[in-house]
Amino acid sequence: MERMLIFCMLFFCSSMAMTAAPHKIATYKQLFKTITRLETTVKDKDVELLHTPENPVDGCLSTAVICFQKGALKLQPENSQVNSTFTQTIRVLGIPSDPISQAHCESSCESYEKKTPKEFLKSFANLIKQLIKN
Amino acid sequence: MAVPGTFLMPILLLCRLSPNLAAARSPTGVECVLFNEEYMTCTWGSREMLTANYSLYYWYENRSPVVECKHYLQDQGVSIGCHFNQSEIIQFQPFRVLVNASLGGRTLEIPSKRMELQDLVKPEAPVNLTIRNMSSNQLQLTWTSPYPKAQCLEHAVKYKSNKDTSWMEQRVKGEIFSFPSVDYEKYYTFYVRSKINSYCGSTQLWSEWSVPVVWGNNSTSKSVVEEQLHWFWIHTVLIPIASCLLLLVLVILLVRMERVWVILMPRIPNPSKNFDELFVTHNGNFQEWAGVPKDIVESFKPNYSENICYVSELPPKESYEHLWESSNHLLSLMPTALAAPCEHSPYKSTYVG
Repeated sequence: MERMLIFCMLFFCSSMAMTAAPHKIATYKQLFKTITRLETTVKDKDVELLHTPENPVDGCLSTAVICFQKGALKLQPENSQVNSTFTQTIRVLGIPSDPISQAHCESSCESYEKKTPKEFLKSFANLIKQLIKN
Repeated sequence: MAVPGTFLMPILLLCRLSPNLAAARSPTGVECVLFNEEYMTCTWGSREMLTANYSLYYWYENRSPVVECKHYLQDQGVSIGCHFNQSEIIQFQPFRVLVNASLGGRTLEIPSKRMELQDLVKPEAPVNLTIRNMSSNQLQLTWTSPYPKAQCLEHAVKYKSNKDTSWMEQRVKGEIFSFPSVDYEKYYTFYVRSKINSYCGSTQLWSEWSVPVVWGNNSTSKSVVEEQLHWFWIHTVLIPIASCLLLLVLVILLVRMERVWVILMPRIPNPSKNFDELFVTHNGNFQEWAGVPKDIVESFKPNYSENICYVSELPPKESYEHLWESSNHLLSLMPTALAAPCEHSPYKSTYVG
């Protein structure tokens, strides 16, 4: 009976792992589309510059994602017409984090150089590409 | 004056070498391609263009020290590129390359711009193309890619039937292509190629086209081929030979049969011979040549002579008598033969204005 239970648990966990990966990729792809949409509606001039992680190493990917997530909250729409869709889009930026890799990263968000919102979003898109590929 | 001589020599050498070095610069820059993410080659020209010794140094910005290429690509003793192993490739890190060209102790640097290696990936062509016959006249084409990350690929399918003149191309995201309505009378050929999609890089480097896969009725295709061969023989051999033979027969007919020749090429009549007798024998005398009898010829000749009769408008009465006298005077002066017919003329008229 115990063996049966252990076997079922293992079976269940392995099936979850197999379905998790494509789901994660689908989430990242959706996030990538969201970021490219934001690039056209974000206000780029006379706004606060944001800490932009640039080419983070593999161990710091999740930290970089969190930094981008925090910085994205400070983004502003270009004009009042795109305000409602902009706010909804910012809310979509929920990203699954990997607590294991977070622990090994030494860089904090404030250690990264500040850049304009559009450059911030370009680097964010680049990071998502890296996550999809890995 | 040895000092100016020694001073001049390097300048002269430099002037002599710099065109060669400039020629060494003429390569269009360094081009790097990652083949299926297994290895990378960076090339800077071809043997025909390059004349100097080249060495490549590379580094990842803020990440690694400057390292020289470990495996150069050679063409007839000249380095034209560098080969990178998989362990030397790091994506999503700014990659820089510097090529040094040296000739006769003088070195020139050929810098390259900053590269993101994930944007330079060229996947391998898809393999194992398979066609399955689905229900309702639908074909399904599937394939696999040697590139490890399927989520990073987009594909393009190129297909044509034996009755079409041009290829159709369609973009596909997954590794399945459905062909909606297939004609069982036709013979189809399919090719597939891949590219890294926008989720994993920004590149326009398509892979090579795959090995084709065909679908269609074998006997149909054979008969089509035979039919094409049959038409080829007719158009290329029989018709030209038949035309040449026909032409030859016509030429022979024309030459041998004068009746045919005369019908096709009638003689233009030349009347000059008919008139030889008129101009030569009869000296232009038409009546003599025509055979007009002499008494008729004589009858046409007038047997009287007619004088000139002057007719003029008569002026008013006062001058009428003056004119009448002057005309009588004139008549008296003229010969009698001439004056007489004028009086007997039936057309004598008087006009008194």
